Amino acid sequence: MIGAPLSQRTWLHKLPAGFKLLFIAAATVVFFWVEDPLVLLASLVLVLLVYFALGREAVLRLKLFRLMLPILAIVGAFQFLASGPAEALASVSRLALMVLLADLVSMTTPMIAMMDAFLPVLRPLRYTGLDPSQLALAFALVIRFVPVLLDDWLRRREAWRARGGSRGSWRLVAPWIAGLLRIADHIAEALDARGLRLK
Amino acid sequence: MIPASANSAILFDRVTFSRGSERLFSDLSICLSERRIGLLGDNGAGKSTFLRLTNGLLAPHSGRVLVDGIDTALDSAAVMRKVGFVFQNPDHQIVFPTVLEEVAFGFRARGYSAAQSREHASHALAQHGCAHWKDAGVHELSDGQRQRLCIVSVVALEPGILVMDEPFASLDLPTRLGLSKMLATLPQRMLIASHDLDLLAGLDRVIWLQDGAIREDGPPADVLPQYKEAAIANRRLEDFLP
Repeated sequence: MIGAPLSQRTWLHKLPAGFKLLFIAAATVVFFWVEDPLVLLASLVLVLLVYFALGREAVLRLKLFRLMLPILAIVGAFQFLASGPAEALASVSRLALMVLLADLVSMTTPMIAMMDAFLPVLRPLRYTGLDPSQLALAFALVIRFVPVLLDDWLRRREAWRARGGSRGSWRLVAPWIAGLLRIADHIAEALDARGLRLK
Repeated sequence: MIPASANSAILFDRVTFSRGSERLFSDLSICLSERRIGLLGDNGAGKSTFLRLTNGLLAPHSGRVLVDGIDTALDSAAVMRKVGFVFQNPDHQIVFPTVLEEVAFGFRARGYSAAQSREHASHALAQHGCAHWKDAGVHELSDGQRQRLCIVSVVALEPGILVMDEPFASLDLPTRLGLSKMLATLPQRMLIASHDLDLLAGLDRVIWLQDGAIREDGPPADVLPQYKEAAIANRRLEDFLP
C-alpha cells in the first residue's frame, strides 16, 4: 500500500520533504503521548479530510487500507480484553493514524527528495564506516519494493489456489522469502551494473 | 595477441570461468567488433555469464576481458560506464517509483546536481518519445513500457555499448517489434542474448554458445537455420514424451 506515488501533483507535493518527515516524526511522538481516544479519533478524521482534500485518487487509495483491517481488529480485540474499550479505541486510532500519515507522505513526495531529506540525519553514520548515501538508497529501495513483494505474494497465493490449495497459505511463507532473497540478488546486480553500488 | 581493432571491441583473451566446480568457459577467445551482435544458445549454455563477463559484473578466473582496451578486472567502474546493461526483468532494474526519478538517478549517481539530473532525464525521455510519462508511476506502466524505460534510463547515460540479457522475454509481438525498431535507431553498439530468432535475424553477427563453447559464429543467415535444425534434431525432444 505504501510506495505508489499519486499520478497528479497536489498541494501536498509542494511542501518540502524534510518538513513532511519531521511532521510525521513529531506526530508519532505526540500520538503516543496522547491517551484520550476522542482526541485521537478527531485527529483521524482530520487526516481523512486531508485525503479527501487531495482528490479522488487519494480517496481511492483508502481502499487499500482494507488490508490493514484484520491487524487493527486483532489489536483492538486484544486491547479491549486487556484494558477496556477506551484503550482499544486509542490503540486502533493510533495505528490507523500512523499508517495513513505515512502513506500521505509517501504518495506525495518524490523519492529522491525523500532521500535527500534523510541524508543530513544519516550523515553522522559516516564515522561508523557506513556510507549515508547508500543508506538513503536502501530506504528508497524498501519503499519502492513493497508493492513488488506484495504482488509476488499474491501471485504465489494465486498459483497455490489454482492447484487446489484453498487454506493454509502460511505454507507459502518460506518459498516467498526464498524468492525475495533471489529478487534481492537480481536487484543488487542491476545496481552494480548501473554503477550505483560499486564494491 | 591483441588485434589492432581492440580499441573498439570486446575482447575475450583465453578466458576461463567456473560455476561452482563446473568449468563453464575454458580458454575462450573471441573478438566482438561488429555493431550489433546476437548471442544464441539453449538455457544454461552460458549466455548470461558471457554477458556479465563483458561489463565486469563477473571477472574471469583466468585470462582477460578487454572492453575497448580496458581490462574489466582492473577497472570495472570504467567498464560499467562504457557498457550499459539491460536485464530481462524490468522489476529487478527499476529502483524508483516514478519514471523521471528512475532516469534522473543515473545522472545523480554520476555526480550531477538534483536539478541538472532532472533536466538531463527529461531531455532523454523526450528524445525517446517518452516525455508524456515523465511523471507516471512505474507501477502504472505496461511490461513493454517498463522495459522501454529500462532501456532509456541506461541509454540516457550514453554508454558506448549496450548489453541486453533477454530483453524481450515475455513481451507480446507488437511490443517486441516496437522495441526492435527503437533499438535500431540507437547509436550504441549492441550485444543481445535472446531466444527471439526474428530479432537475431536483423543483427550483423550471431554467436551460438553451447556448453560454454562457441558452436557457430557468423551472419544470422548462416547460424540461425543451423540452430533451428539442431534444436529439432535434438534427442532431448524425446525426453518430453513418456
